Amino acid sequence: MSACPAEQAQCRAVLPSWNKHSSFHSILPPRPAASSDFRTHADQSCRYAEEFVNIYYDCVDKKRRNLTRLYLDKATLVWNGNAVSGQDALGEFFESLPSSEFQVLTLDCQPVHEQATQGQTTLLVVTCGMVKFEGNKQRFFNQNFLLTAQASPNSDQPVWKIASDCFRFQDWNN
Amino acid sequence: MFRRSYPELAVVSHVLKDDREDFMVRREVTRADFTVYREHDDRTAPFPSRKGRGHKNRSFDRRDRRRGGHPGGFGPGPRSRLLDDTDGDVTMSDSSQDSSSQNRFTPYVRPSRKPDGRFDRRQMPGGRGIPGGGGRRERSVRNRLGWYKVTIPHGKKYDKKWLITALQNICPVQYTPVQYHVDHNRAHFYVEDSAAAGALRKCSHKITDSDGYKVELHVNPSNPPSFLQSDLKPEQLEHLKQCMAKRFDGSQQALDLNNIRTDPDLVSQNIEVILNRKTNMEAVLKIIEENIPELACLNLSNNRIHKLDDLADVVTKVPNLKALNLSQNELKTDRELDKLKGLKLVELWLSNNPLCDHFKDQPAYISAVRQRFPRLLKLDGCDLPPPIGFDVETPTAIPPSKGSCFGSDEIKALILRFLQQYYSIYDSGDRQPLLDAYHDGASLSITTPYTSQNPSRSSLGEYYKDSRNLKRIKDSTMRFRLLKHTRLNVVAFLNELPKTQHDIASFTVDVNTYTNTLLSFTVSGVFKEVVVDGKSRESTMAFSRVFITVPAGNSGLCIVNDQLFIRMATTEEIRKAFVAPAPTPSSSPVPTLTAPQQEMLTAFSLKSGMNLEWSQKCLQDNEWDFNRAAQIFTQLKAEGKIPDVAFIK
Repeated sequence: MSACPAEQAQCRAVLPSWNKHSSFHSILPPRPAASSDFRTHADQSCRYAEEFVNIYYDCVDKKRRNLTRLYLDKATLVWNGNAVSGQDALGEFFESLPSSEFQVLTLDCQPVHEQATQGQTTLLVVTCGMVKFEGNKQRFFNQNFLLTAQASPNSDQPVWKIASDCFRFQDWNN
Repeated sequence: MFRRSYPELAVVSHVLKDDREDFMVRREVTRADFTVYREHDDRTAPFPSRKGRGHKNRSFDRRDRRRGGHPGGFGPGPRSRLLDDTDGDVTMSDSSQDSSSQNRFTPYVRPSRKPDGRFDRRQMPGGRGIPGGGGRRERSVRNRLGWYKVTIPHGKKYDKKWLITALQNICPVQYTPVQYHVDHNRAHFYVEDSAAAGALRKCSHKITDSDGYKVELHVNPSNPPSFLQSDLKPEQLEHLKQCMAKRFDGSQQALDLNNIRTDPDLVSQNIEVILNRKTNMEAVLKIIEENIPELACLNLSNNRIHKLDDLADVVTKVPNLKALNLSQNELKTDRELDKLKGLKLVELWLSNNPLCDHFKDQPAYISAVRQRFPRLLKLDGCDLPPPIGFDVETPTAIPPSKGSCFGSDEIKALILRFLQQYYSIYDSGDRQPLLDAYHDGASLSITTPYTSQNPSRSSLGEYYKDSRNLKRIKDSTMRFRLLKHTRLNVVAFLNELPKTQHDIASFTVDVNTYTNTLLSFTVSGVFKEVVVDGKSRESTMAFSRVFITVPAGNSGLCIVNDQLFIRMATTEEIRKAFVAPAPTPSSSPVPTLTAPQQEMLTAFSLKSGMNLEWSQKCLQDNEWDFNRAAQIFTQLKAEGKIPDVAFIK
């Protein structure tokens, strides 16, 4: 996705939000960024990451059926070593998990270098926390996501989608 | 008047107003221990301060009576609530004595005394050993020794000292609380004095606790506290244990304590085990808990059990109990069963208990029992219809966890090789060479979880000051500073971190995504912080690290993003860590070499100067093409890309 410079100038002031809008315009152009651009980029990434985490874990706990909407069609999930790919498989998988109560303890993020993404705006979000699945004991987990900006049929602005999701209990081996 | 002299005793006289504004004197003889005596004046019976006394001319110098001195006592009127079997059971020889007291009624409660001061509950009150005037009466032992149990419904939460002091401050009658104990939410203690009992009853709702609630008190006549009842001595307990062992059927995990009191083994040893006694029941439960905690069936029939309070501990001590026989006992209401809630009984016998007669029909009986034990399938030997539940089963099974998820063998090989190289430098003591592993525009950040202990003192202290946790750090400048950008900054930072030793064998790798231009994977495992100059402690830590890489050079990887999460390792992780020998270049099982391969290996090692392991790796990667391997080796060596480890023999 790219925007013409005119739009870019207009949208820079818009505060990014998760659901429908992703004012990634201010992140472009994809040329090697001067440090101030990198700074802006990094700052914004933090805000996106915070918003994402709120939305994501709320969705997992309370709107599990809607969870797959946050994922790309061809997204991959590796859940404690189990690989799940594609919307249908993801849907079934999330359905099969008991109801959950997540609590995020740490959050970090980094903008992903464009060389890896070929210009497609991507964000690395890393979390750790505790989760209690119904009928199971509470456990610590580590999780990380690659979020990528995609055009949305529902809006004229890009939205973030989960391209990959990696989840593991800290004590998965016990 | 009968007097004895007891040097250690003190006489305390209390002048009290009863609820009819009459005076009453109570004299109390106290000792250092908790037993309360009455003064040895046989008229000093604890007269309950009840209503309807009808006394008029009382003062406290009425010691001039013929009968040796009533200290201004009075009767409670026609009926004493507390001692309700006194009706018609009064030898009112003193009714002739004081014409001014029409309705005087002196219910004697004469605890018998022994020199050691303990009440012998087997003796009748007003009984033997106490010479004195009339007024003695025969009474049944049970409940008539003048003991009262004071119950504070929510007393568990109170500090005992606070409660006792508060009560003693507001209670007009002096008393000694005996055997203060807590059961479930309630606190209890005993008093041996009906006047105190009455006064305490009135103290209910007079004290306000720290939460603003009024302290409630219930006072009822009761059996004497259990300490007065005989305890079993150690030798006796041993006999009891043997006796129980004989009655234990290991194949069924069943213990038969039916009518245990009459067991010949116990009788012959003169050991009395009466299960309606708290101490005896507790002793039995203790023996079960210590020897046969997996007990499944317990028969307590025919033991005169009238309450299940003392059996309540069975829920926690014998959690596997599935069958319980309480038939032929004296349980009066089904509410007793509430005390056993939590037991997952499948079979229960309750027949021949008074409670069985309280139900209007069989279904009501079954229903009441099943309320407490929903899984019950058999009651009094009859099968019950299986309970019908609701199918609101929600899935609680989570998918089993697996180890590394690489996606493909090539990726696996690629990553393992990368990790091997990366960590041999990382653990080497100088991380500078890692510059080659990072892209110019690489980013790095680390996170450690928040610990409530002083961060600098914990082993995570070294990492904590650089921890980037957006949930805790809100200042954008700080956030930016903690993100290391460009490879120079990244490696400089890494070089400052403590020296480590990673257990590569423990690594788990999950491949997140791969495209032509991106390979992202998550590595988790453990590492040790190496002791350097005795400064850092050797602690084992666990980490989870996300690498985002782009292809580089010769099937190599170049890091563009690196996020490292570090925490303390759990005991389980520490136990499993570093069990395998020190890291080797190959994480996959080493295939056995053919003879030609062996030869090639030796030659290559000789020529390159690398050790056998690294030589083998190089050859394997190049399909055992000696020349090609040699070429690659030379090239990499020229580029300085081969770590020193490779040359260590």
